[in-house]
Amino acid sequence: MPECTNPLWPCAMTGAAACLAGFDGMTVVIHGSSGCYYYPTTLLHAPLYGTFIIEEEVIFGSEQRLLQVIKEVASSGQRIAVVTTCVPSILGEDIRAILASHDVLLVDSPGFSGDFESGYRNALSALEPRVSPKKFGVNIDGVCIFDPFYRGNVRELLRLLSKAKVPVATVFCADSLTRVQEASPFTIGTNSDIASGVGENLGGTLGMKELADTFSRICNVIEGADARPVLQEIASEEDRIIQVCDKFLRRFDPPRVAVFSWASYAAFAADTLRSYLDAEIVCIGTRSTPPPGSSRVFERAEGLSQVQALIENHKPDLILGSSFERPVSGDTAFVGLTPPLRGKVRLGSHPIAGIEGTLGFIEDVLNACMDQHR
Amino acid sequence: MSLKPLPSNTSRFEGCTLTGALSITTSVCNSISVVHGPRGCAHHNFSLLHATALEHDSVVAPVIQSSGLLENEIIFGGEAALERTLARTASLCPACIFVLSTCIADAIGDDAGAVSRMDWGVPVIPVPTGGFLGGVFEKGVNNALCTLSDMAEPCKPEGTINIIGEKNLEYEVEENYTEISRLLSLLGLSMNIRFVHNISNKDISHLGQASLNVLRDPGINPVGNHLKARFGAAYIPSFPYGISGTLQFLEMTAAACGVPLHSALSEEISVQEDVLAGFSDLAGTRIALDERGLASPVSAVVREVAAALKMKVSEDGCRVPVPTDLPVGTAGIHRMLHRWRRVIHA
Repeated sequence: MPECTNPLWPCAMTGAAACLAGFDGMTVVIHGSSGCYYYPTTLLHAPLYGTFIIEEEVIFGSEQRLLQVIKEVASSGQRIAVVTTCVPSILGEDIRAILASHDVLLVDSPGFSGDFESGYRNALSALEPRVSPKKFGVNIDGVCIFDPFYRGNVRELLRLLSKAKVPVATVFCADSLTRVQEASPFTIGTNSDIASGVGENLGGTLGMKELADTFSRICNVIEGADARPVLQEIASEEDRIIQVCDKFLRRFDPPRVAVFSWASYAAFAADTLRSYLDAEIVCIGTRSTPPPGSSRVFERAEGLSQVQALIENHKPDLILGSSFERPVSGDTAFVGLTPPLRGKVRLGSHPIAGIEGTLGFIEDVLNACMDQHR
Repeated sequence: MSLKPLPSNTSRFEGCTLTGALSITTSVCNSISVVHGPRGCAHHNFSLLHATALEHDSVVAPVIQSSGLLENEIIFGGEAALERTLARTASLCPACIFVLSTCIADAIGDDAGAVSRMDWGVPVIPVPTGGFLGGVFEKGVNNALCTLSDMAEPCKPEGTINIIGEKNLEYEVEENYTEISRLLSLLGLSMNIRFVHNISNKDISHLGQASLNVLRDPGINPVGNHLKARFGAAYIPSFPYGISGTLQFLEMTAAACGVPLHSALSEEISVQEDVLAGFSDLAGTRIALDERGLASPVSAVVREVAAALKMKVSEDGCRVPVPTDLPVGTAGIHRMLHRWRRVIHA
């Protein structure tokens, strides 16, 4: 049933805008009303434009208004992308034909067409990313300006790749627009829920094991790459994690954990906590569609009532999620893992990927759990 | 970055009717608001209201049900989806259900009002919205306030005051209310209800007991007129702004309620003198005001405060923050001056 109480995840239009607005050199125009414009603008903190159509244009057509806005934003000299919202997409206007004489990328991504991820993929596909066989280095994907960890993830992977002497080709989707057409044949990921599908996937970067495997694979395909410094850092930092987790377990029971996130972030959190803290993962509620064939038991948690029911049923003593989960967590320990993370000042670039991502995650979990006992 | 508003079409930029209406209906604590449209519309608004609640240090999130229209309903009609959602919502036994439509549901011709009028076992109240097809944010606020006021029956006034149409999404909503309460208490007046801010449907039934309605701002004058016609209570069109405006507010309220003014006025003048004395170090400071896009009352209030402190307004002065929403009462001026001093001393 599509009906839902307090839906927790943005629509396809917002996903498309998040993908496109991540590229420098792209001007994104939301073709719709002010209400549809303001939400992605405040959520993504990106410079979006809008056509702000009104009732008159719904009745008599939005062509003139759309062209007026295109003309106005064209002066920036940037590539223009138009993302359609619900009402314009059913007006029966041939928007592609309207825009035919302009160099404009049209992404038909109305809210009713699907969820955030489908809009994101739709927009990325419309950009027609291309692999340049001779491009040296690796792409980073799964990066999205909607994710509070995106900046930290990119910085952490740049650091690690630099340590392994591997240049970065294209970051999907937070890079210069020109690089979309010059991607490397190889890609590593930070979030498989919004994987780009560009190039050969060498693996993810969430958690120490996955990271080590991925860097080993990088060395097999990138000439001159040296994974040893990264693998050494993984080994030494993992020792530190084991040490503090072991110390925690001398005094406290392992947490019973409920995770609400993207499937990939949720899987990372569950595996990490099981591995280092012998934690019991009582439920995993995902916002996105779980990967096919996954051995984990995922439950969809797209609305707040589903989240509340899962918490009520499983009675976790640690909840990982977004600021939507935080208020319903009561006195239970809480760690932010999922967008949005509101109600808290965040200025630094915290990663969830890479070595620093795992360190920061374990740090947050242990501190939250220990605070519960104080 | 939005495009510059065109003078003929300022309504383009004034937000969604649905958001305006939800900012009111979700403040009825024991109700549930149903948004008839795609999930995204409900999520956008829930996310906004949730963020606002966090900023207001509230952990209680409003309940919004979405009828979750998908492509199939867009093609074949979405009334069945609304029926399913109302059946499910009614089973939760809220005190009442508000049904709000969206632009896409209106565009495909769904009759949310007719579905609402079916027997659901609990009061189901349709609120005219319809996203941008229904107007703008302010229209949504006004429609919701008028619709909700019809839940109350006329009754004998008891000499109290209603606060009408507080901006529930405003960051300083509680601080502004506290200031109005303080000013009314100077006149010996007490509050009836905050219509609508964190109240129950039963509280709404007391709406007609007030002798005077104080509106948040003149944009909700249609609501003031609606309440006057329904309950007979006069209204003050706006919260007080500025030094002289705050004193005028006391004068107007005292006159409307037939209570003595003199001691309240003296006390408030004394409070204002104390506030200004606390910022006497700013006298003679040159300040610049970025008044582009500001309504003239905002400029007038800001300049009045600057003049009272003998500050000089000039282009080459220190650029101080000018609020887009006017500071309410003397307490609002006090907070604004702290922000000015921070900039001047930076």
